[in-house]
Amino acid sequence: MCVFHMTDETTSNGRSIGRRRFVRAVGATGVAAGLAGCSGNGDGGDGGDGGDGGDGGGGSTGTSTSGGDGGSSGGTTVEMIAHDEWANVQDQINELLHENGMSDDITIEMNTVGQTTDDQQAQYRQWLSAGRTTPDIMIFDSGWTIPFLVRGQLLNLEETLPQDLLDRVHEDYFDASVNSATGPNGDLYAFPIYPDFPTIQYRKDLVQDAGYDWEQYATDPMTWEQFSVELKDVYEQSDVEYGFNTQHVAAEQLSCCVFNEYLTSYGGAFFGNPEENLYQNIGERPVTVNEEPVVKSLQMARTLVHGNDAPHTLDNIAGNISPEAVAQWDVEGARAPFTSGNAVALRNWPYSIAISGTEENLGDTQGVMPMPYGVPEGEGNYPGTGGSTAALGGWHVGVNPNSEKVDAVIEMLQAMQTDEFQKANFGLVGWMPPVPEVLQDSTDVEIMGNHVETLAYAGQHSIARPVTVLWPQEADAIEQSANSALQSGGNPTQEMDNLADRLTAIENDFEG
Amino acid sequence: MATETDAGTARSPIRVDLALLNRIERLSDTQFVYLMLTPVLVLLGSMAIWPLIDTFGMSLHADNIMSSDATGEFVGFENYVQMLTGQANALLPRPFLDLSAPLTSAVTVTLIFTVIAVGFEMVLGFGMALVLDKNFRGRRWVRVALILPWAVPIVIQGMIYYLIFTPGVGFAVDPLQGLGLISGAPLADSWSSLLIVIVSDIWKQSAFMALLILAGLQSIDRDLYNVAKVTGATKLQEFRTITFPLVLPTLLIALLFRTIAALKVYGTVVTIANCNTLPTLTCLVVTTWNANRYASAATIAFIMAAVIALALVGYLWKLRDLEYGGL
Repeated sequence: MCVFHMTDETTSNGRSIGRRRFVRAVGATGVAAGLAGCSGNGDGGDGGDGGDGGDGGGGSTGTSTSGGDGGSSGGTTVEMIAHDEWANVQDQINELLHENGMSDDITIEMNTVGQTTDDQQAQYRQWLSAGRTTPDIMIFDSGWTIPFLVRGQLLNLEETLPQDLLDRVHEDYFDASVNSATGPNGDLYAFPIYPDFPTIQYRKDLVQDAGYDWEQYATDPMTWEQFSVELKDVYEQSDVEYGFNTQHVAAEQLSCCVFNEYLTSYGGAFFGNPEENLYQNIGERPVTVNEEPVVKSLQMARTLVHGNDAPHTLDNIAGNISPEAVAQWDVEGARAPFTSGNAVALRNWPYSIAISGTEENLGDTQGVMPMPYGVPEGEGNYPGTGGSTAALGGWHVGVNPNSEKVDAVIEMLQAMQTDEFQKANFGLVGWMPPVPEVLQDSTDVEIMGNHVETLAYAGQHSIARPVTVLWPQEADAIEQSANSALQSGGNPTQEMDNLADRLTAIENDFEG
Repeated sequence: MATETDAGTARSPIRVDLALLNRIERLSDTQFVYLMLTPVLVLLGSMAIWPLIDTFGMSLHADNIMSSDATGEFVGFENYVQMLTGQANALLPRPFLDLSAPLTSAVTVTLIFTVIAVGFEMVLGFGMALVLDKNFRGRRWVRVALILPWAVPIVIQGMIYYLIFTPGVGFAVDPLQGLGLISGAPLADSWSSLLIVIVSDIWKQSAFMALLILAGLQSIDRDLYNVAKVTGATKLQEFRTITFPLVLPTLLIALLFRTIAALKVYGTVVTIANCNTLPTLTCLVVTTWNANRYASAATIAFIMAAVIALALVGYLWKLRDLEYGGL
């Protein structure tokens, strides 16, 4: 803490001298303070820059290394915004890309931005609105790629990539992933890196001790009824604290994913036929959240938490297997007890399989199977509904439309589509290959490799959230209503009627 | 030197620095004060006032979610009309003002939070300050202990309360649920969350209140109390005629700081619960912004700024009446 001492003579002496001295004194103290590094803000700023400086240092090291490798002085450096998982091992990722066909003189320099997916989205929007030429490529959440491409802020890959690469994506990649990167005109605007699908993860040992075999359901899911009844039995025979952990928090996790899985597996939909309306026809599509299958799916989930005696529950579902705390649990809150062995089963994303599957946690006793379903596949109210449903997550690479290094980016994407790269990346950072065949072929990857059949099944039965420019608003409404309906005093019918009114108002307000 | 003096008497070469200093010397006191304030005013102008004007400009436009432009066409005060009449409620993440749902509409949640939290902080802070004003052994340590919560960063404070009220982790859920005060998943329930966030704010900010009030108490002339003693005044009379009136200006300043901060509450809400469960005004600005409705977000932000300005003017008015405020 620096304090400026002013001598009394400054004020007690004559005025004119006082002012000259004052100005001089302030100037001198300012310089001294500056030299002494007293400015608190300055220090803070330096700290912040230090982080960037570190990245910059990494980048320059990369450059000099490539020089050492005999790299040309005219090499291209592509700036990428990536996740920590990639940025932390960017040398290895670059090596992998080079091994799989990217020219040696191209370097991908990775940085990360923001702490959350929302931060990332806001930052991209700023950059792309400002018309910057860098970063050249950015990693985009499949949950918010579409608003960017609708606003014309992503390069149209259909017009840029070579035909064989486009064919590879359209024909071999997970359909749901590709659809979430496709514009209303049917063109591809982003390149899937990895998909993400939730599954049921359970303690095989407890299930076996109770006399059940859930391994037979690895690619042949159960109904919610069978799942809840058997799970309750396992739960009662074991001494773990929790039965079935899931996430009912009033956040994106519920609207995009958990609730979406419930209602789709019961044959319902947010906006009528998902094949037609998931990503388009805003304002014209019907709002169908108050239809019977949606309400019934909420009653099912209410039963899991509150038991059969609570109002608005189903008799055929076994109850009291999920704690009341699920109303405030997000993925980590639900995962922690399961990983430490204190729950029978968990609904979560693949990252959780990798954590719980380590030797110090559950190891080989962890089983994985697809999400249960309400009505059989194809018997839902709309095409593509009913049956086991996994919400679609995952990330894409989007290209800055103003990038001056598109040719280098194309080489990178060419390398990323190879089987070898996808498998090696799966093993290195745990990101699932975006091609079902490659995923199923990756059995040699540690932990996750044991469950690739189930993951591929989930990927082929996934449902995306209805991402349009209105989704951020609609998601807020959906997660609030679903969360209220699932809490102890909740009434699904009433909440869904209210939700339908709100969604209709939001849709009608839209002028596109 | 000699040539310089000669040249000076003949025809002075203009020394800009000297001319400037001479000019400064001829300024009147008021002018000099403002000259010295200029750098601060320029900084304030560019970092506080310009963004405020820009925000106001944004709020006069329509939302634009379809193109890369931040906002749509000019609509004048339509956003304000829709916001204040409730027509915009259906399009917002949570209603701006809806008296039928006080625990989930932004204005009511913010006001309830502010009034209760600041009220309790004032009473507790005053109490703490009165105790600390006394001489007793170990007073220094007690002061440190009382100030500790205030030194805890907001995110850590949030995590502490988040963990205390996470079922299965914290100790508080079961007993308080048994008493019927909170629900079994308190951070998913608006009423319980409001209560918890208020308690956490009181826990942290009472010390701040106490410190400011203590400074006021210590500036009171001790002779006044001696006079009170000689004249046989009771403790209550002492408080009513000496302590309270003399500490009131400091108290008002402390209340002013706390009220403004409470009206802006955001950090504790998002770290303990979330903006869906407990939508304060700042929450509403952020969530509306995240839904890419920049104009609506700017409108709410500007209304909030106006409310805070009103609170500020109210306090300053009262201070001016007291003649101690130095205004």
